[in-house]
Amino acid sequence: MTALRTLLLLPRNVVVVLLRLYRAVISPLYGDVCRYYPSCSRYGLEAVQEHGVVVGGALTAARICRCHPWAAGGVDDVPLRKVRRYRTTNFGFVVPAPTALTPAHRKA
Amino acid sequence: MDIIGTILWPIKWVIELLLVSFHSMWSALGLSPDDGITWVLSIVGLVLVVRAALIPIFVRQIKSQRKMLEVAPQLKKIQDKYKGKRDQFSREAMSRETMELYRRTGTNPLSSCLPLLIQMPIFFGLFSVLNGAQHDSKGVGLLSVELADSFANSELFGAPLKSTFIGEFNLFTAGQPFNGLVMTIAATMVILMTASQFYTQLQIMAKNMSPEAKNSPMFRQQRILLYILPLVFAFSGVAFPLGVMFYWLTSNIWTMVQQFLVIRNMPTPGSEAAKAREARLARKGKLVLEAQTADAAVPEVAPKRPAQRQQPISKNRAKKTGSK
Repeated sequence: MTALRTLLLLPRNVVVVLLRLYRAVISPLYGDVCRYYPSCSRYGLEAVQEHGVVVGGALTAARICRCHPWAAGGVDDVPLRKVRRYRTTNFGFVVPAPTALTPAHRKA
Repeated sequence: MDIIGTILWPIKWVIELLLVSFHSMWSALGLSPDDGITWVLSIVGLVLVVRAALIPIFVRQIKSQRKMLEVAPQLKKIQDKYKGKRDQFSREAMSRETMELYRRTGTNPLSSCLPLLIQMPIFFGLFSVLNGAQHDSKGVGLLSVELADSFANSELFGAPLKSTFIGEFNLFTAGQPFNGLVMTIAATMVILMTASQFYTQLQIMAKNMSPEAKNSPMFRQQRILLYILPLVFAFSGVAFPLGVMFYWLTSNIWTMVQQFLVIRNMPTPGSEAAKAREARLARKGKLVLEAQTADAAVPEVAPKRPAQRQQPISKNRAKKTGSK
């Protein structure tokens, strides 16, 4: 069962590695540009961790479209799922959590 | 057609329009149509049009940076609240509050992700136009087979614009005849590009950051990357055709000059460049009031200041209502 869940989490963990790479190598090229907190790439990372590649990707695309020069900016967090079955490691990998987390356990 | 190709299609079409227009303009002015310099100047023209089109976005950014002076006291309050707190949670809370302040007051100084995202497809569009031209295939719009062929095979100092450093290097290692000029020009451009990028980043970091920003862990990370990134550039630079590298180089130089002018004339409040500007203006005897309000750091005094200084506030309010 755990093996199956880990396998299901594989796509998003692959994307997590790619996004970590992007954030380490390409993001610093431009410095701070995003008008939101968290920044678009961080939002993408959190969205994929929370919702997976498909939904997280769509959320990120919507967010990037919101990040234009005429936007006011501000705090814009990833919407959390009602039942959170996973936790994230320090690196950002998504792994099955021992017990389901409620939204109250929001990670910082 | 695949998704990326469909997205790139209109961009490629516009790139070709600009390239071909500039090419016929330079040809009409007497340059040889098949000469490398004609096509390089066409690429330079393309960069100038693209970057000039992005100026309004840049001006907007500078305007909100000016408006930021008004909220400097509030910003200072947030910074004082988290002073000396280096842990991740405090830094995040501080970023959150700062962003919320920007949103509330409409003073967001950041340029947003859009200008970057506009430039990326242009770069890849040009890359695929050149790449297509390399195989003598016609473009999606105005770039005919003849023009594509002329573009790809035009030579600058004896180096065809379609050639890459790595391509010639492979010929060299295989013991086949290769064009050393391509490698020389490519290497020179990689060095120039790296130098301009390095200089741009360095002048932002050394001059245009407030002391608070300099103390953040983000800054230390950026400083390390400042020395690693030129290497990344050099390695990726060898794979691009010379024509694409000219786009990149011209664009980098534009950024460098633009950044220089902005840092000189509208520096970030509290940064070294801001102090240098104040000193410069004071020497000339025309220190403007807004430069002083940036220094109005003491929160107790800050609320009183607007009452004392009618002039800047009414000016800015007039500007605010005028723009709406």
